[in-house]
Amino acid sequence: MKREKGYTKKNFLKGIIAENPLFVSILGTCPALATTKTIEAALGMGILFTIVLICSSVLVSLLRKVISEEIRTPAYIVIIATFVTIVKMFTNAFLPELFSTLGVFISLIVVNCIVLGRAEAYASKNNVFDSFIDALGMGLGYTLAILSMALFREILGTGAISFGKIFYFIPYFKLQIIPKNYALSIFQNPAGAFIVFGVILAVIAFITNRKKEYQAYLARQEKIRKAEEAKKLAAQKVAEGGNK
Amino acid sequence: MDKKHYIIVSVTLGVIAASAAALIGLTNLITKNRIEENKKIKINNGIAEIFGKEALIQNEYSFENNEYQYVNYVYEIQKENMIGYAFKTEGSNMYGKISLIVGFDNANSFVSLSIVEDEQTYATALEDDYVAPLISGSRDLDDVSCGATFGAKLVRDMVNDAKKANEEKVWIK
Repeated sequence: MKREKGYTKKNFLKGIIAENPLFVSILGTCPALATTKTIEAALGMGILFTIVLICSSVLVSLLRKVISEEIRTPAYIVIIATFVTIVKMFTNAFLPELFSTLGVFISLIVVNCIVLGRAEAYASKNNVFDSFIDALGMGLGYTLAILSMALFREILGTGAISFGKIFYFIPYFKLQIIPKNYALSIFQNPAGAFIVFGVILAVIAFITNRKKEYQAYLARQEKIRKAEEAKKLAAQKVAEGGNK
Repeated sequence: MDKKHYIIVSVTLGVIAASAAALIGLTNLITKNRIEENKKIKINNGIAEIFGKEALIQNEYSFENNEYQYVNYVYEIQKENMIGYAFKTEGSNMYGKISLIVGFDNANSFVSLSIVEDEQTYATALEDDYVAPLISGSRDLDDVSCGATFGAKLVRDMVNDAKKANEEKVWIK
């Protein structure tokens, strides 16, 4: 099958912008609300999630001709659960702080709709390379989305950005952005997570709607221009006919 | 569908499950020792949080005969002399697992507690609204109404189980 030019780039970018799993498809919201208290925790969650997504998508794509229709779902769940268990064990062994911080949300990657969704909707129908690119884009898109939420929550909730508590191999630093007395602790609570998520979704909806309105306006203008041109042409033809 | 199809389907699922088991087993082999080491570090940190940095484990005793519902280890703690006991407790409810170190001094008074592992769904609420005020003394053990009431009830029962074990001291008898 002949591939569309620039397909790989489009395939990679769609997960980050046009089909962002969190902000556009509104999938995987549970960990997004629970693990975005700090940038570090969100980054950890994003990395683990991306690893599971890539591994499961690649394996599902590799086995797509072997796994028959009726056992697709159980087979995919076994594959995803295996990678989540492996990632969980490695995190517990080598990043115990991240393991403690994310707690049950590492195990909950198994039931994250994005992972099973990409396996079912994309990896089971496409080749290994495309599935890898798709998973990488989706994973990166999800990571960036939860990082943006964590950025607002950490700054507004604590007044600072800190790094190096969970990823202990990075020297600890804390950047105070707004005075601690002005920090609003609600943003560190679940209610704050909902507020931030809602505001981001509203901003995205506003931008998307304005873009659509602008495109509709351009289309209208083009239609008017064409109609005017046609009118002019018709008037010209009438005038030419009169001269003859 | 013919017999051959059923066999292929069963074999495929079997092979996937066996490969998954093998991969998890291999990962367990690689990570097992490190996880155990981390657990020991967490226990030592928990004991240090309760009794101070100089506190050392003198002896440990495992409750292997299921004498208690939650307590599974007791550590005799010393600095220069024996200063108290730390009990390692483990419990779980529908919101997940939790493991605590509960400390008592020589006069059998509750000193403090420390969380070793918390996989509760409402872990943050449990730690911020119940465990932290309990440690600072601003909350009563039985005052479990908080953002994670079920988790708080579990913690209360675990502390009470440790209290009971501390009073009975079956490992000395």
